[in-house]
Amino acid sequence: MFGYVRAAPDKLTAEEEQRYRALYCGLCHTLGRRYGAVSRMILNYDFTFLAALLSGAIKTEERRCVASPVKKRTVARENEALDLAADVSVILTYWKLRDGAADSGGLSRRGYGAVARLLGRAYREAARLHPDFDAATCRELERLATLEAERCPSLDKPADTFARLLGSVAGELQDPIQQRIMEQLLYHLGRWIYLVDALDDLKEDAESGNYNPILLRFSLDNGTLTGPAREAMVSTLDASIRQMAAAYELWDFGVWSPIIRSTVYQGLYCVGNAVLEGTFHTAEGRRGARGKKEQV
Amino acid sequence: MNDPYKILNVPSTATDEEVKKAYRELARKYHPDNYHDSPLEDLAQEKMKEINEAYDTIMKMRGSGHGAGSSPSGGSYSGSSAYGGYGAYGTQANARFREVRAAISRGDLHTAEHLLSILSDHNGEWYFLKGVICQRRGWLDEARRNYETACQLSPGNPEYLQALERLSSAGQAYRPEGYEVFTTGCSDNMCGRLACAYCLCNALGCGGVRFLWC
Repeated sequence: MFGYVRAAPDKLTAEEEQRYRALYCGLCHTLGRRYGAVSRMILNYDFTFLAALLSGAIKTEERRCVASPVKKRTVARENEALDLAADVSVILTYWKLRDGAADSGGLSRRGYGAVARLLGRAYREAARLHPDFDAATCRELERLATLEAERCPSLDKPADTFARLLGSVAGELQDPIQQRIMEQLLYHLGRWIYLVDALDDLKEDAESGNYNPILLRFSLDNGTLTGPAREAMVSTLDASIRQMAAAYELWDFGVWSPIIRSTVYQGLYCVGNAVLEGTFHTAEGRRGARGKKEQV
Repeated sequence: MNDPYKILNVPSTATDEEVKKAYRELARKYHPDNYHDSPLEDLAQEKMKEINEAYDTIMKMRGSGHGAGSSPSGGSYSGSSAYGGYGAYGTQANARFREVRAAISRGDLHTAEHLLSILSDHNGEWYFLKGVICQRRGWLDEARRNYETACQLSPGNPEYLQALERLSSAGQAYRPEGYEVFTTGCSDNMCGRLACAYCLCNALGCGGVRFLWC
């Protein structure tokens, strides 16, 4: 996953914000315990959002860590949902890095390859615990590679691969109703992430000639989407967010409701907007300038 | 049956007006329009039934002149009858199209798609049904394109037009109180004043996660 999933902080109380941070830290600790310190660098807010979707009740504890060695922080106590979120994060990141290594050449290829190797042991363990999810991930990414090679001009077909991949996380849940709701929610989350990522890469791919379904689906005006093309792109992104919101309303997400609500009713729209306007990375850049290292 | 007050999420001391307001909010949330052609349509219908029953039970218990089984004035949220599957439509369409509609309402998209693929007459109905199948699958861009073609081929068909509008118009969808109508790509919306980025956990230890404002 690519770091596009954001909540809307202005809709959260201080307590809810604090709880989300505690979950972030909890996921980080879970990764560390299950897969070693290296795996903690894969942590991002997309995975934290996934953990919020999977978590029920939360218990917190005070802990120190590398990022906060002196002052103790409130951290979500490790539980089954965090375990699952950590396992899924490892599998997804591993395949994404493998994919990145296959896609690029030269230095970055070796870079991707090296990180994938570092994660190799963690990946094998996670895949052993969730063979179905691992198989689905592998299958969908193969499907995506085929569509890329064919230079498929549809938005939905390639997006469907990543959407199904994420949707298959629902298969790891117990309750059949929860499974259905989560499958729908995660399907559209995956679809949205894939399309927003493609939108984000539009200029770069237009120059490099890399596969990008948006380039093939619409005719672009100077590397940007304008007029009806832009409208159609926006409409399809929004439609997926509305499907997520509709699914969200059918399940009780407990203490995580405000975070999920602020994400599916506002946060995702704002991220989509920033990506479309080309300001997403300037905001990111500003963040990067303040704290050089963003990952633990 | 569960506690009707709990279902409507109001205390039992709530006034009639408060009960009505809570009911309306929930009815808007689970309105069939928000779940049309979603694979979760049936779950939303159940929710709708549950809140309708809860509301009627409370009003009956209170006996405050509302009459049994009445929904709030102007309430037209009477469940799913108007959206009862595709078998109900298509009286003029030929038998094949009816079969496709039946397969879609059974949830058998595979059969529906197959039946459609062997039809050579690609008229408005054909594109409409193709669009419905796409939408059920979550292929929303192709759904929209098929609906658009259906509307071009059969201008004035209210069913096709409604499907296209439902898929495109963001303004109609339910939003919780306090949330404006947000859409992607509207440069003039609220997002400019909203937080855009989280600062992630920082190894240099300046206090970890924080929110930055753009």
